Amino acid sequence: MTDATGTPPRAESIFRQNLRNFAFNRLAVASTVVVLIFIVMAIFAPLIAPHDPNETDLFRRLQPPAWQAGGEWSYLLGCDGLGRDILSRIIFGTRISIFIGAAVILVATTIGILAGLASGYLRGWVDVVISRLVDILLGFPYLIFAIGLMAMMGPGLVNIILALAYKEWVIPCRVVRGETLVTRELEYVEAARALGASKSHIMLKEILPNIMSPVIVVASIRMAHVIILEASLSFLGLGVQPPTASWGSMVADGRAFILDAWWVSTFPGLAILLLVLAINVASQGLRDAFDPRFHE
Amino acid sequence: MSALLSVKGLRTVFETRAGIVRAVDGVDIEVERGECLGVVGESGSGKSVTFSSVMGLVKSPGRIDGGELLFDGRDLRSLSPQELRNLRGKDIAMTMQDALTALNPALTVGEQIAEVLEIHDASLPASRRERRRAIRERSVEILNLVGIPAAETRLGQYPHEFSGGMRQRIMIAIALSCSPKLLIADEPTTALDVTIQAQVLELITELRAKLNMSVVLITHDLGVVAEHCDRVIVMYAGQVVEEGPTREVIEKPQHPYTKGLLASIPRMSLRGQPIRPIEGQVPDLINMPAECRFYSRCGVRKAVCKSLISMRRVGVGHRARCVRLEEASS
Amino acid sequence: MSLGKLIERLLQLVPVLLGVSVIAFLMMALTPGDPVQIIIGDQQITAEQEAALRHDLGLDRSIPERFAIFLGNAVTGDFGESFYHRRPVSEVIAERLPATIELSLVALLIALATSIPLGVLAAIRKNSIFDRIATVGSLLGVSLPGFWFGILLLMLFAVNLHILPVAGRIGYSSEIEPITHFLLIDTLLRGRPDAFLDALSHILLPALTLGLPMTAILMRVTRTSMLEVLRQDYVTFAEAKGLSRRRVLFRHALKNALIPTVSVAAIETGSLLGGNMIVETVFGWPGLGRLVVESIFLRNYPLVQAAVLFYAVTYVLLNFFADILYTVLNPRVKL
Repeated sequence: MTDATGTPPRAESIFRQNLRNFAFNRLAVASTVVVLIFIVMAIFAPLIAPHDPNETDLFRRLQPPAWQAGGEWSYLLGCDGLGRDILSRIIFGTRISIFIGAAVILVATTIGILAGLASGYLRGWVDVVISRLVDILLGFPYLIFAIGLMAMMGPGLVNIILALAYKEWVIPCRVVRGETLVTRELEYVEAARALGASKSHIMLKEILPNIMSPVIVVASIRMAHVIILEASLSFLGLGVQPPTASWGSMVADGRAFILDAWWVSTFPGLAILLLVLAINVASQGLRDAFDPRFHE
Repeated sequence: MSALLSVKGLRTVFETRAGIVRAVDGVDIEVERGECLGVVGESGSGKSVTFSSVMGLVKSPGRIDGGELLFDGRDLRSLSPQELRNLRGKDIAMTMQDALTALNPALTVGEQIAEVLEIHDASLPASRRERRRAIRERSVEILNLVGIPAAETRLGQYPHEFSGGMRQRIMIAIALSCSPKLLIADEPTTALDVTIQAQVLELITELRAKLNMSVVLITHDLGVVAEHCDRVIVMYAGQVVEEGPTREVIEKPQHPYTKGLLASIPRMSLRGQPIRPIEGQVPDLINMPAECRFYSRCGVRKAVCKSLISMRRVGVGHRARCVRLEEASS
Repeated sequence: MSLGKLIERLLQLVPVLLGVSVIAFLMMALTPGDPVQIIIGDQQITAEQEAALRHDLGLDRSIPERFAIFLGNAVTGDFGESFYHRRPVSEVIAERLPATIELSLVALLIALATSIPLGVLAAIRKNSIFDRIATVGSLLGVSLPGFWFGILLLMLFAVNLHILPVAGRIGYSSEIEPITHFLLIDTLLRGRPDAFLDALSHILLPALTLGLPMTAILMRVTRTSMLEVLRQDYVTFAEAKGLSRRRVLFRHALKNALIPTVSVAAIETGSLLGGNMIVETVFGWPGLGRLVVESIFLRNYPLVQAAVLFYAVTYVLLNFFADILYTVLNPRVKL
C-alpha cells in the first residue's frame, strides 16, 4: 500500500481509487443495490409490510400464494400454518438477519482489530496469549461452538449476537495481526516511534488506517457467512424465539408442510439466498476493486 | 545452402482489452546451419515472442497474424499440431530464462529428462524394462555431457535441490537430449551470476560444435553476443533494426539504437565519464504511428524519418533500418 | 519428514487440545439448570438422597476440581451417563457415530469427484460459457443455506417425484446385520445388492446437501490453482519439449494444481462436522449431529459436552492432518 520510499499514500486517494474500480464492476454495484434494498426493507418494515407478521388467522391457514388457486393477491406469498402472511414475515425477518449480521460483524471486527493490533504490534506475551486463544477458538467448528454457547446461554437476540461474535472475532484478528506484523516494519512507523509517539497512537493512528482495506473486504465476506449461521441456528430452534419472525425458523416451520404447502419453507429460504448471494457478489467485487494489483 | 530457419514477415499480435499489441511486426530472420545467432533487444522488443511463434507456443490472447516460417524446408504454419509437437524437443529445442521456474518442482530431474526421450527417441528398445534402462543410461550420459557430477544419483533429485547454474545445465541437457538441429536459448544467462554465466555459455558453444547444431542466443547483454555469436540481430519495438556479422555490427554500428546500446555499456576505458543511457521510452506497441519506431529517442532524426523505414544494406550481410546510414558518425 | 518433527508438531497441539477441553467443559458446567433436578424430574426424594446424588455426580465440588475429573475421565473415554438414555454417554455416541462418518465420507467423495473435474475444465476453457456457468454455480453453492437446499431437494425428489426416500438411513425391508456399521459397505459384504441400492438412495440427498458448499469452494480453488499453474514456465517448457497436451495437463499441471485443492479439502472437511447437524436434522439421519441437537433440547448435558469435545478434538486433528498433508505433497516446502 505504500510506495517504494515507505511514505504512506494519502489514504484517501487510494481509497477513492478503489471505490472507482468498484464502481466499474456493474455486477458488484447491482448486488450492492440489492443489499441496500434489503436494508431499506429492514428499516421500514412496518411501513412496507402489508400485514402484521404476528397476526394469526386460522381461516387462512396454509393459504397458497396469490397465483395459485385459492390464493389472494393481498397475501402475495401465501400464509403459513398459523395463517400468518408470509410476505410480511419475510419483510420483518429481514430485520433480524440484517441486524444480527451487522451487529456480529461490528462487534467481532472491533474486538478483532484491537486484539490483532495488540498481538501484532506489542508482540511478547500479549501475542502469545492472543494467538493461543485464536488457535483454541479456531479448533471449534463454527456451528458446534455457537450451539454449545446457545445451549449455555439460552436463546435470545443478544445471546445469538454474542455467541456468534465469540468465534467470529478471530478472523479479523488474524488478518489484522498479519497486516500489523508487516506494517510495523515500515519506515513511517519507525519515524513515528522516533518522534516519541505512544504505542496506542502508533497502533490506532498510524497502522490501523493503512490496513483497513483488507479488513473491510474480509468483513463483507464474513457477513454472508454470519447471516447463514444465524439462519441455521434459528432453523434448529436455537435462534430468536417465536413469535419473532426469523427466516431460519420460518423454514423450520414449513418442514411439517413440505407435502402440501411448499411455499411456507421455500420463500423464506429464497430470501436468505438472495441476500447472501448479493452480499457475496458485492464483496467479491470489493475484493477485486481493492486488490493491490490494480495499482500498478 | 538454404538456411535452417527462415522467418519472413512474421507478425504476432496480442489482443488485450486496451487494444491490439503488435509484439512482432514484420520480422525477417535467417539462421544458417551451424551458426550462432545473437538476438539482442530490451524487454518488449519482441525477441522472445518471435521465437515462441516459431515454436508454435504463442497462446491466447496472442496469435500469429501473418508471415512465413520455414524450418529445414518445412512450412511450420501449415503443420498440424501433432506434427509441430514432433518437431519440438526433437529438431528445435528451447531453453528458458529461469531454470527454477522452467523445471517442474513436483517431478524429479530424471523424470523430466526421461519424458523427452520417451516421446522422441525412436531408437529406444521396445520392451519396458530395457526401455527404462536405456533411458536411464542416456539420461546419465546427457547429464555428464553438461557437466553434472554424480549424475546417477542426481537423477532422483528435485530441481530445488540443485544450484542455479546446475539447473540451467539440466535445462540445457533436456533441450539437447535428442540432438536438435536448432537450439533457441532464451536469456540463458540472465538469472545467473557472472562466473556461472561464463561456464554456461562455454558449455553451449562446446556442445554446438560437438553436435553441429545451430544456436540462437536471445539476450539483452551485448557482451555475451560479442563473445559467442557469429551474427547478431538487434530488435526494437517488434522490428529488426540492424543485423550483420557480430564484429562488424559492434565495431561499426549503423542504427542509432545499436549505437546507443553500445555507448551505454560501462567500460573500463571510459572510466570517470558519465554513463550515457538512451533517453526516452519504448513506444506504445498498440498505437504505432507510421514512422521510424525509434523516432522519439533518436538523436539524429530528420523529417524524412516520419515515414515507414525499411532495411537498407550497409555492407556484406550487414543491414540496418535507418535512412541516416552514410551520414551517421560512428 | 522425520518422526521427530512430527512428534514435535503433535506436541504443539496439546495446549490447543487442552484449551478446547476447557471450553467444552465450561460450556456445559456453566449452563443454567441443575442437572440433579433434571434427573430427579417429578420424583419425590429426600434432601439426603438429593445430596447423595449430587455427590455421586461430583456436582458438589469446585469447578477446577470438576474439570480435572472430567479430563481424567475423558481420557479413558468415560463421559458419564446420559440423562436421557440411562446409558454411558460413550456408548450412545459410539452407536451413532458410524452414520455420521459414513455421511461425511460420502459427501467428501462426491465433493471431490465433482469439483476437481469441473475446476480443471473451467480453467482450461477459461471464460467460455462452461466457465461462466461453473462460476455462477459455485457462487450459488456457497450462498445456499444448507437446510433450505435440503428441504428443496426433498420436496423435489421425495415428495413430488417419489424417486428418493424422505428420511432415515435405510428402509425396513433392507435391514441387515451390521459388520462395519457402514451400511454401504455392509450391504455389499452381506451380498444384498438390493439393500445396497436402498442405502444409496437414502444417503444420496443428504450427502449432496452436505457436500454442496464444499464442492463450490473446491471447484473455485481448483480452477484458480489450475489457471495459476497453466501460466507457469514449466508448463510452457513442457510444451516446448513436444509433449502432448494431455500429458502436459495430467503429468505436469495437475500434480501441482491439486495441492491447494487437497489442502483446502482437508481443512473444509472440518466444516462438514458442523454441517452434519443441520443435514441430519433435515433428513432424519440417525447420526451424532442430530443426537446433539436433540440432546440440547432435552438438556442432556453430559452427552452434549462429550459431543462438543469430540467434534473439537476431531477438528483440531483434521487441521493438523491438513498441515502435514500439505508439506508432504509439496516437495519444496520443508518443515
